[in-house]
Amino acid sequence: MVRSVENRYIKGKENSMDNLENQIFASYQRNPDLFDEIFDENGVVKDVYKTLFNLYGGHSIQDYVRLNEKAKSSFFNQGITFQVYGEKDAKEKIFPFDLFPRIIDTAEWDIIERGSIQRSRALNLFLWDIYHDKKILKQGIVPLELVSSSDNYLHQMMNVNPPGGIYNHISGTDVIKHTDGNYYVLEDNIRCPSGVSYVICNRTALKRALFGVFNHYQTHTVTNYAENLLDLLETVKPKGIDIPNTVVITPGMYNSAFYEHSYLAKTMGVELVEGRDLFVENDFVYMKTIQGPERVDVIYRRIDDLFIDPLEFRPDSALGVPGLFAAYKKGNVTLANAPGTGVADDKAVYTYMPEIIKYYLDEEPIIKNVHTYHCSRPDELKYVLEHISELVIKPVDEAGGYGISIGNRLSKEEVEEVKKQVAQNPRKYVAQPIMSLSVHPTYIDENESFEQRHIDLRTFTVLGKDREFVLKGGLTRVALKKGNLIVNSSQGGGSKDTWVLKD
Amino acid sequence: MYQEYSIKYSAKNRYETLVNDAYWQFLIIPEDNKSQQLVSWEFANSLNDIHQTSINGFGFKTIRVHPGQKFNEISFEASFTVIKKEVNPFDFSLPQDSTADCAKLDDLNFQIDFEPFLRKTRFTSLSESYTNIFPFDRDKTIFENIQSLNKWISKYLSFQPGVTDVNTPLDTIIKEKQGVCQDFTHLFCALARKNKVPARYVSGYLHQGHGYFGDSQMHAWAEAYIPDVGWLGFDPTNNLLANTNHVKVCHGKDYTDCSPLKGVVYAPGENTTIHSVKVLSEQQQ
Repeated sequence: MVRSVENRYIKGKENSMDNLENQIFASYQRNPDLFDEIFDENGVVKDVYKTLFNLYGGHSIQDYVRLNEKAKSSFFNQGITFQVYGEKDAKEKIFPFDLFPRIIDTAEWDIIERGSIQRSRALNLFLWDIYHDKKILKQGIVPLELVSSSDNYLHQMMNVNPPGGIYNHISGTDVIKHTDGNYYVLEDNIRCPSGVSYVICNRTALKRALFGVFNHYQTHTVTNYAENLLDLLETVKPKGIDIPNTVVITPGMYNSAFYEHSYLAKTMGVELVEGRDLFVENDFVYMKTIQGPERVDVIYRRIDDLFIDPLEFRPDSALGVPGLFAAYKKGNVTLANAPGTGVADDKAVYTYMPEIIKYYLDEEPIIKNVHTYHCSRPDELKYVLEHISELVIKPVDEAGGYGISIGNRLSKEEVEEVKKQVAQNPRKYVAQPIMSLSVHPTYIDENESFEQRHIDLRTFTVLGKDREFVLKGGLTRVALKKGNLIVNSSQGGGSKDTWVLKD
Repeated sequence: MYQEYSIKYSAKNRYETLVNDAYWQFLIIPEDNKSQQLVSWEFANSLNDIHQTSINGFGFKTIRVHPGQKFNEISFEASFTVIKKEVNPFDFSLPQDSTADCAKLDDLNFQIDFEPFLRKTRFTSLSESYTNIFPFDRDKTIFENIQSLNKWISKYLSFQPGVTDVNTPLDTIIKEKQGVCQDFTHLFCALARKNKVPARYVSGYLHQGHGYFGDSQMHAWAEAYIPDVGWLGFDPTNNLLANTNHVKVCHGKDYTDCSPLKGVVYAPGENTTIHSVKVLSEQQQ
């Protein structure tokens, strides 16, 4: 008797799952040309997503709408909002959050983690070199123009030894998965990469909305970021300091990432300051407190290079601390990231990353770079001219997406025009294959259904003295507009909780 | 032969509204180098606030003032005693082979080592139409070329205070053919760099006892790097090689790196600053 009841129960569950599954994913359209993260080429759910797929299938669309609202209010309640610069009625918005998480299995994560560390370490060695002996330039591995044409190459940093030898304490590496199933790095962000607070808040929001799903997966925590960041920042304290006093400096509450600055300070258990809260005396940095001045040793700064010290850089900066750079140069305070790191996260440097990794670490890149053809090299120029329709053509010296031609969107006449330009001035151009970002089922409000949307992943790597940490998770950004490849939040992108599975 | 100078620098700042807080940084202390020695110096301000010394981003000594009180007016006075060694700026032999000499400028390692002083900066950028305004003669040595450049600029521009300010672009200066020592120096740096010779902007004091140009402010001239010789000072405003009359404070890529007074003042409204510089030759031995 008992057995038959059990059977019926199981059978019933299976049936209902089929139905509900149809409800949620019934209208899901799979474009066979795109790499879908959860369905394989035959439309079968991949192993790692099976449980999740079934669990989500247990809800109706109406449930979803309700849960979605719940998640949104969770963000408002946590105060996680942002503003888009330049919008007339700058209203606080929430960063759209998608309830269907992205899962990265142990094997894939291993590649991402080792790859992120490798790049961060190589970039750090590159920065040390170009601010000291410049061997990589002298040996002709990367061209001098790479630094000489960069406004972010700060000569004030020449021969300065940052505490612990670290420049890029915090790196944000943006990776994508191409249709070939491999990860590629799109860019390295080593100025003041942001977004880590969303990683943690996405987890919180998903837990509030759908607590149950976490019982079925062994997922790495992401809430340990702040403690690891603080630990690693303390390893690069100035000489002679026993227990460093660390602060986070923010441009202020009108900055679009202010929430993150305050969140990090709060979770690290350190003070959040603005420039006016600090002052420099005899080349030491102090914080004004009601008990009197308190020395500051490590500053996690979320202010751009040119604004950190009006006496050294932009004199009109009201955000910085007068005299801060001299204190840094004398080794009395640590700045994370170090000034002058921006020279290494430019588009032109990116194209040399495989060479940079090989040169300093004698390793092959663990995560691939998007292949770059230098039109200055005759054989590569020949390839580019013959394959323009399959390539993205970029001028080497333009920033912000100007002058980019996407081969498959050009008319015949335009192709000829681009060919002519490149042939006339090959040194000015590089070309890359057109990358297709993988897609992930994403709940679309207005259609009340799941649809394929392109995603990327920003990982967060922290370098300390002889130690490093990669947040086991990351910010999966979703391009909410159909077919759109741009995932930035200012361009209407959203995000997903990202699970890295334990072994 | 030595020459001793007594230099007086003063600045007076007046503000329309009461200033709550302010920071100033002075880049005015003569440097110690092989041709000059800073014997003594003093600094004072009218509010009797203490000052500190520090460095700028390129390691040159600075003086910092951060008054602990509110004010409308503040004045600063500094005095320096400097001994200049009389050196012969022509104390080297010109290379025989000028082609080989000029070829040194094409060496990659040379260009890497001197990158900061070969780059275009905000004040040393020329528009396309002017880039060939002074091409070097490859049949002459680098030194000879630089000397002709110095002479050419001193003839091309006329010294005219008040027609340009710190933000006047080089193109305007070339078009108008006039300016002050900063403009002469920026043009020198731009054209030397254009011809692959490292050049840096120098800020300092000029003893005007010989009728040299330079108003009663700090002076500016340039240093060019001549391979196998080193950095040599050229004063395009006066068509001279820098000599005992030039007391150097600091150098940089252009004026931005060398501005003598930088201030961060937390007060709305207008302000005026009056600078003055006096260089007296105390004695001659």
